[in-house]
Parts: sequence; C-alpha cells; structure tokens
Amino acid sequence: MAMTASRGAWGRGVAVLGVLAVLALAALLPFALQDVFHQRIAALVLLAAISASAWNLIGGYAGQVSIGHAVFFGVGAYSALLGYTLFEWPPIAGAPFGILISLVFATIIGLPTFRLRGHYFSMATIAAAELVRILVVNWPLVGGAVGLMGPAVPRSTLDLSFTSPRPYYWTFLGTLTALLLVTHWMSRSRMGFYLRAIKGQERAARSLGVPVQRYKYYALLLSAGFTSLAGSLYALMVGFVDPDSGFGILISVRMVIITALGGVGTLFGPLAGAVILVPLEEWTNATFGGAGTGITYVVYGFVIMLISRFAPGGLAELWRRLQAAGRRHAA
Amino acid sequence: MILAQLVLNGLLVGAVYALFSSGLTLIWGMMNVVNFAHGDFVMLAMYVAFFAATLLGWGPAAFVPVAAMALFLLGVLVYLMLVRHVMRGPMLAQILSTFGLALVLRYAALWAFSANFVSLPEDLTGQVVTLGGLRFEPSRVLAGIAALLVTLGLHLLLTRTALGSRLLAVAEDRTAAMLVGIRPDPMQALAWGIGAACTGIAGGLIALFFYVAPSVGESLVLIAFVVVCLGGFGSVPGALVAGLAIGVIESLSAFWVGAAFKDVVVYALFLGALWFRPQGLLGKA
Amino acid sequence: MLLEARGIVKAFGSFRAVDGADFHLAEGEIVGLIGPNGAGKSTFFNCLAGELQPTSGRILFRGRDITRAPPEAHARLGLARTWQVPAVFEEMTVRENVMVGAFLRHGHRQEAMRRADEMLAFTGLSPLAASRAGSLGTPARKRLEIARALATEPELLLLDEALAGLTPAEVQAAIELVRRIHARGITLVIVEHVMEVILTLAQRAVVFHQGRVIAEGAPRAVVEDPAVIEAYLGHSLRRRSARA
Repeated sequence: MAMTASRGAWGRGVAVLGVLAVLALAALLPFALQDVFHQRIAALVLLAAISASAWNLIGGYAGQVSIGHAVFFGVGAYSALLGYTLFEWPPIAGAPFGILISLVFATIIGLPTFRLRGHYFSMATIAAAELVRILVVNWPLVGGAVGLMGPAVPRSTLDLSFTSPRPYYWTFLGTLTALLLVTHWMSRSRMGFYLRAIKGQERAARSLGVPVQRYKYYALLLSAGFTSLAGSLYALMVGFVDPDSGFGILISVRMVIITALGGVGTLFGPLAGAVILVPLEEWTNATFGGAGTGITYVVYGFVIMLISRFAPGGLAELWRRLQAAGRRHAA
Repeated sequence: MILAQLVLNGLLVGAVYALFSSGLTLIWGMMNVVNFAHGDFVMLAMYVAFFAATLLGWGPAAFVPVAAMALFLLGVLVYLMLVRHVMRGPMLAQILSTFGLALVLRYAALWAFSANFVSLPEDLTGQVVTLGGLRFEPSRVLAGIAALLVTLGLHLLLTRTALGSRLLAVAEDRTAAMLVGIRPDPMQALAWGIGAACTGIAGGLIALFFYVAPSVGESLVLIAFVVVCLGGFGSVPGALVAGLAIGVIESLSAFWVGAAFKDVVVYALFLGALWFRPQGLLGKA
Repeated sequence: MLLEARGIVKAFGSFRAVDGADFHLAEGEIVGLIGPNGAGKSTFFNCLAGELQPTSGRILFRGRDITRAPPEAHARLGLARTWQVPAVFEEMTVRENVMVGAFLRHGHRQEAMRRADEMLAFTGLSPLAASRAGSLGTPARKRLEIARALATEPELLLLDEALAGLTPAEVQAAIELVRRIHARGITLVIVEHVMEVILTLAQRAVVFHQGRVIAEGAPRAVVEDPAVIEAYLGHSLRRRSARA
C-alpha cells in the first residue's frame, strides 16, 4: 500500500514536470515560427482550443450536447467591442459583462431543458442562438448586419492591440492553461464524478443522491462563462465581429466538431482536435478561396458522421484502442 | 380584411409546416431519435422541384411525387447506413450523426447550386383569384390543401391500416413487437422512408411559392422542432394543429412585428413552451 | 417505525398497478416483498424509492413525509436502492462507480476513495477496482450496485431482484453478503420472486396480488396461506390456459 502510494506520488511528480516542459515548449513556439502567417495560425489553434474546451465542460463531461454555444461566444465578442463603440472602453473591459450576460442566458436555456431528455437541450440551444443572431442583425445599436469594430490603432497598452500575433498567442496560452487546470481539478472533484455519472445513467445517479439538474446547471455556467471569454479574446485579436462570426451556427458547430474529433470528456481532446482542424481549415480556405468555406463544412459534416458512427470517443478512443491492441500484441 | 388574408395565408403555409413536421414527429415518436437534417431534406426536395420545373418543364403533379420518392429513398438509406448504428449509442453520437448529415447536405448544396435564391416559374399554377375580398394565390392554395390532405392521409395510414398498427407497435414497445413477430428494423426503415417522403412532398409544395436556397433548411428544421414540441411527440394530429398555429403566428407577426422578426417570435414561443409545457401543448403530462 | 406507507395507490391511466397498499418496517428488519408477476410489487418498490410518485397515499421515513421527495432526497435521508436491471456507470471504473456513491457524504476525493475502497473490500470487488464497469458480467454488476448503494451510508437498503439471474453458487454468495449487510445494522427490503431466497433471508414476507397486500407474516406461514397459494397458482393456471 505504502509502495503504491509513493509510486503514485512519484508518477504524479513526473506528470507535473512533463506538463511544465510541454508548457515551456508551447510558450517558446512563436520564436520558432518566423513568419506571421504561421504565428497567427498557432494563435488561432489555441483560441479554438479554448472555446472547444469550454464546450467540453457541458457537452463532453456532462454529456449535454449544446449546438448553440455561439450564443455565449457572440455575447463575449460583442460585449468587448460594444464597450469600445459606446463608451470608448478598452475592449477587454467588456469581457466581464459578456460573462455576466452569458450566465443569464445559460440560466434561461438550461433551467427548463435540463428537466428533459438530452435532445431538448440541443434544440433549445440552437433556437436560442438563432434567436439572438436574428435580433442582433436587426438591432442598429449593436451594429446590425454590419457588426462592430475595435479601435483601429491602439490608444494605450490597455487596448491589447498588437500587430504581431505573438502577444495574442501568449494570452491565449495562459487562458487555455487556466481553463485546463480548472477542468482537471473539476474532473477529479465530486463535480467531475457527478457529471460523468449523469452522462452515464441519469436515473442511477439520482438514486445515489446526485442533484442532477443542479450539477448540469453548474457545468453549463462554467462552460458559458469560458466560452464568452473566448469570444472576447477573439474580438480582441480580430478587432471586428459581425452576426455570423459571433452568433453563426457554424461557430457552435466548430466547437462541437473540434471536441468530438479529439475526444469528448477528455482533458486534451479539444486541443488535439484544434491542432488538426484549424490548420486544415486554413488550408482549405487558402486553396479553394471563397468556395472553401462550403467545402470545409461538407468535410466537417462527414467527419462528425464518421466519428459518431465508428468512434464516438474521437481520437482519444482510437488511441486507447490502439494501445490495447499493442498490449495484446506484446502479450 | 387584412387580418383574414393574413390568417388565410398563415393557414396555407402552416399546412405545409404540419406535413413535414409530421414526418419528424413520426421518426421521433417511434425511435426517440431526432433528425437534425429534417429541414435540409425539405431543401433537397425544393431543389428537385426547381430543376424538374425549370429544366424539364414539369408541373407539380409530376415533380411532387418524384420528390416524395427521391426523399423516401434517401430516408431509408440514411436509416440503414447511419441512424440504425447510432440509435442505441451515446446521446452525443445520436445528435451528431444527423447533425453532420445536415451540414453535408446544406454545404454540398451551397457548393453545387450556389447561395443564390431561385424560384419556380410564376405561371405554373394559374392566375390569382379574388373572392370576397380575399386573394387566393393558386400556388399557396394548392400547396396548403395538398399538404392538409397528405397529413390526414398519414394519420389514417397510422391509425387505420395494418401497416400503421405495426409501425405504432414498434414505437410503443420494441421488445413486445418482436415477441408478436414484427421485426422492428424494416419498420423503422419504413418510418424513416415515410418521414422523409413527407419532407419530399412538403418541399415540392412549398417550392411553389417560396424561394429556394441551400440555407432554407436551417430555419425549417427549427420550425419542425417547434411544431413537434408544441404538438406532442409522435402525434400527427398534434403536429397538424401546431403547424397551422405556427403558420398563422408567423404570418401575423411578420405583419405586426416585421418580416425580419417572424422567426424570432416562433423561437421565443418554443423556448417559452419548454419553460411552461415541456410535454407539448396537446401532449399528455 | 423506520418506514411507513399508508394507502398507496399508483395508477397508470385507468390501470391501478398498486391499489391501496399499506406497509410498515421496523429498524433492523429484513422484509421480503413477493407476489406473482405483475402483482404491483415492483411499482410499489419504486414508490418507496422515490422513483415513482404515488397517485395517492403517504410514505413516512422516520416520521418524515417523503411521498413527493425526489430520489436524490431519499439517498440523502439514508434510503438507498439497487436496480432490477443493473444500472452501473459503464464508462467509469468499478472504484469510480462506488466513489459516486461515497461523494454523497464525503466531499473530499481522498475520503471518498477510502470509503469506496472499504465498500469494495466488503463486497469482495477489490480485485476488480480498476476495471471498467461496462466490462463486468451480471453477478459483478449486481454486487457493484450494492457496493455503490452502501457507499451512500444508508439506514435502509432496497434491493430490487438483486439475486435474479444468478447461478446457485452466486445466490449463496449473495445471501451471505445480504446477511453481512444486515449485521452492519442496515434494514433491508428485498423484492424477489425466487421464493427460496425469501424463505432463507427474510424475517417477514409481504405478499402482493393485484396491487394489494394479501398476506404478511413469517415467510413459512405466509407461503402456506391459502390466499397466497391461490394467487400464485391461479396466476400460473391462467397463464397456462392463455397459452393453450
């Protein structure tokens, strides 16, 4: 017993060191990438990983498939640029308001649907995101169909407006690290166990004293808050948002597919998915030009269908299967 | 008079909504699987109608049955190749599979047909008739009445025929149905076929008076969700009443609140219904 | 009185699955609920567990009204259950399954794990602790359900056909486990239609027929009650004639 405990502590030390080493390498990556184009893609990978990891909290760990997370992303992005447009705030000052509004939306969507079976939540999220998108398109105060712009030239460092993608990369890396730490801690705590139990067998979970609706709601709050932050960070980097790039259904789809590809309910699945899909997306857009977006989403659609048909656990599941096969081979 | 005209137009569109929503409610009620591509099925049928009318010069009497058959085949195929394998799997796989299908159909259509709005020739169904101050557009009247008849036909098929009772038996209790010798697999494939055929007919009819574009599926699938949720799952009469109601609500809110907001009203109604009557307006508690 | 149910009715549409059942349970008892198929015992059991809400009647646990309380409140009050068809969390390991139960009383991971390991040892599942629950066979799943329920530290454990589908050797092991649970001071209600189990285990048997309690008392006496024999025989006779 003592031996396994010490081995556990040792193994944990190695794991922590490993993570720190990877983190240090990740932080140095922008120096290895000389041209701005690649640096920008690296930053976009991290940004996509943030929103997908945020989606993963409710969609992956709790198993409640939202297809309308763009509503939180859009609120975050719009809040950042609206503060600037109306009051000349630095965009980052809008982020807390975005998070607050997202929590209210999460409450409106989550409370009624969590009483019902999984599909309802998916449908309610789509409807809510579309509803907000249409309202935004028709609301001149928030820029209507045209959208909102950030400051054209930085007025002070508070505007966090840079010409090089590197500062964004580091900001996103810090945010992603924080989010993954929260996720890791959550998954090992009572909440993580309860969410996995809810995902597995809701009735059985209740009979063991799990307050199912409450924990789904906690997971949604956490997820919505981080998704909103991801939206604010997006607005910070791009300096522009319109209804489609903030609230469009494809924004939601991207979070789902990136997570599903990497592995739902796993810590690094969303990051793995983003590392594969974001460069692929840039490549198709560059190769096929305007028509590329369409083709990208046809490919996305096929990828989701194939995943759900053959490997609902995504790459993480394939990896485990490969390992198991390797062990069998070795034995 | 304007009010009467709005209600009339709403009812006629609502009948078409009821028709394709009946297809969704059948699939949903029977196997508890939601078809997120349902609106894109309608979109495909609209393109079938469009190309049949513009390239071949066909009338609705020819292209509506063809669209129905094409979509029937698509529905069966989707069941056999996709749904059947995921319906017992995790919730995520169930939702993502048809959602992925929706993306493929929508963006393949965008790529193949471009994002442009197109519409069928105007003179396909004859001149507008004014009667007692009401404008009867033949395309809408034809679509509405045909949709109403097909929806009633579907209801009769389910409640009055041997085939219908076999379908419902599988819906009620899969295991029990197997015990009395009904194989659920062909029945479920058939349900997908019939459900998709409903979108085929509805798509052919709605194309008579509505623009055709790859993106229409997105709002149509949401309308179908709303109709099914309000009408109660698996209930064709419920879908009929709810479909007509949604048609009228849309038509009135387009007039009073503005055309841009008609969908907002419908989605808000949906979210409101989830709050207050999650089992559907006509559904049982 | 640990648990008391008065005039419980559970109707599905016009069909009354439970039709005015009374039931009481003293601390430290092992009570068997028996009856032919469709007698309403499972429905009644699920009313006690909070899974179903009775159409009318009252259920008191330690004098407290729990008739309309949700299942999670039952667990918190000390009323745990198992499922007829084992409902384990397949994607989690055996230990993690039990930890879900242990987290009810212990917020800290280490505490919950320690508690779970105790329950695994108690139920003899320790060697399987790291296995995925989905890979277990039925007997181990049933044991896991019991371990998981015990981890919530209940005063009353409701077992829904925990022994159905086991081989005679497994039944013996399960009976021994139930005795040890009882020795820990936990009161038990067992739904079973294997009569032998009730005869060996229960101190008192309650017989359901057509949604009502038709007999109760010492198991040996109850099975010789003419009304009970009639209920069982009549049932199987009707069945035979229906089949013919």
